[in-house]
Amino acid sequence: MHINRELKRLRWFLIAPALILFTCFTALPGVRALIYSFQKWDGFTEPEWVGLQNFQALLADDLFILALKNNVILMVAGGAITLCLALLFASTIHRGMRGAGVFRVAFFFPNILAAVAIAILWQQMYSTTDFGIINAIWMQIQQALPSVFLKKGEIPSPFPFTDSSHLIWSIVPMLIWTATGFYMVLFLAAMQSIPEEYYEAATIDGASPRQQFWHITFPLIREVFIVGIVFFIISSAKFFDAVWVMEAELPNKNSHVMTTVLYQKVFHEYNVGYAAAIAVVLFVLVFIATLITLNFSRKDTLEY
Amino acid sequence: MKYLTYILLSIWLLAVTIPLAWVGVNSLRSSKEIVENPFGVPWLVQGSPYQEEAGHPTPQESAQSNFQNAWVESNFSQYFLNSFIVTSISLIMILLFGAMAAYALSKIPSLGNKLIYLYFISGMMIPAQLTLVPLFFQYSYLSETLSAWTAPLGIEIQLHNSHTGLILIYIAFSLPFTILILTGFFKSLPNALRESAIIDGASEFTVFWRIMLPLARPGIISAAIFNFLGLWNEYLFALIFVNTPEKKTLPLGLSNVSIQAQYNTDFGLLFAGLVIVIVPTLITYLVLQRQLTKGITAGALKG
Repeated sequence: MHINRELKRLRWFLIAPALILFTCFTALPGVRALIYSFQKWDGFTEPEWVGLQNFQALLADDLFILALKNNVILMVAGGAITLCLALLFASTIHRGMRGAGVFRVAFFFPNILAAVAIAILWQQMYSTTDFGIINAIWMQIQQALPSVFLKKGEIPSPFPFTDSSHLIWSIVPMLIWTATGFYMVLFLAAMQSIPEEYYEAATIDGASPRQQFWHITFPLIREVFIVGIVFFIISSAKFFDAVWVMEAELPNKNSHVMTTVLYQKVFHEYNVGYAAAIAVVLFVLVFIATLITLNFSRKDTLEY
Repeated sequence: MKYLTYILLSIWLLAVTIPLAWVGVNSLRSSKEIVENPFGVPWLVQGSPYQEEAGHPTPQESAQSNFQNAWVESNFSQYFLNSFIVTSISLIMILLFGAMAAYALSKIPSLGNKLIYLYFISGMMIPAQLTLVPLFFQYSYLSETLSAWTAPLGIEIQLHNSHTGLILIYIAFSLPFTILILTGFFKSLPNALRESAIIDGASEFTVFWRIMLPLARPGIISAAIFNFLGLWNEYLFALIFVNTPEKKTLPLGLSNVSIQAQYNTDFGLLFAGLVIVIVPTLITYLVLQRQLTKGITAGALKG
């Protein structure tokens, strides 16, 4: 096709604003962070090249390893329960039931809330003063359970859920509460593209709903399920807002996650190179995860 | 098995809705009532035991004062305005620049298109944490350079602790996903439309602005909802690039009030603040939930 001058000029006019903004405020800073990660720099004086020292220091740093462990807790404990629940809910709703629309709309709802608002909401529900709804339920359970299971005084009541030493495990239910609806909608969208005839044929052959799930539904959405796993890994690696807010901007060695360590290194300890190294680790993680996702979503267009 | 999952679904429904109802009810209770009557019928309905005492606010007054304290004394009106300004300006720019680039990349055939498209899309892999450290240290330098250019016009550009700086980051950071969605949309529009309009004497720009852009409206709407929620709720960039109280956005203001509530125990105010933050997204969701879930899952499956 012949491209005339006017069209060529229009093309650059249309692309230029996005290209310039994206380059200046995302792409170049990204490259810049990569450079920082090989430097020792306090943000003021002349930076000094140190090679891989920042990354070596990272692996030897107890604080970073603890933070990484906390991220893994969120990833594994939160991810396993979230994805299983989402799969269960999606498959139930998919096979048709009363009130499916209500469940879908309600379950997705926490995803549109600000992470800060969710964190504060859960912090108040965990509250050890009289109005903390979760502690109120916990105290009821503790009273109802026979003392065989729970010796009195062994577990504090009310339980200090949001203390630094318990915070990460208390965030896990919050994470599940928020994310399940998202992954349910994701899986549901994939399930809806499975042709109805498969289920009709299976029903005629006498397959039970459970067999139908394991032999039709799950194999056909397996790629999307893996995309879901990767997504969860990315989002729990980048986790920041809730820890920051619930710890009143001062996480300690029990409650740090990777991103909060990064913040502390830049803005409290002026160790910019080290912080950049954490960011690069995050980036590499997201990069690998995204490549996996792209690989799977390309195969996703199955021919039925 | 079927009943079991039904029960599980119902429990989940309660688990999702009860906390939100709890926030709503507590925003109408005084801090005194939240502690003394946490799960009972609100005093607003059944009447307060302190009704007879002189000088005690009535439940109506307490409910009102929660929102009044949040809106006026705790500056939520200012935060709300700031969030509105930052979100709306960013959103308009994101959609405009995103649609322009997406149109050029999908409808104006050229050799470099695929490369530029990949360049934009690769931006989705860059986590915010990677860009914010360099941006923080480059902003003062960048402000000076830009101000030197705009000095003859009498404009001084300040990127640190300013909405301008935050908006520029928001635009740049949201463009990759927006371009991804909109390129897909423009690609699905037939080329014949453009050709026949050109034959009728329309200019290339007219084709874009008057024909293709209106046709891409569904895509633009889902990109708009998605970006609106992301920007309205954004915390990390705002935390780092905005410092003074009069420039803070809602999530920052809310987290401030939450930290203060640990000392002054004004929980009624905190819950009222939560309501103020949640309501705009709630309305958006209820009105546009179909497009929203569609857009988000489409983005996720492609991203």
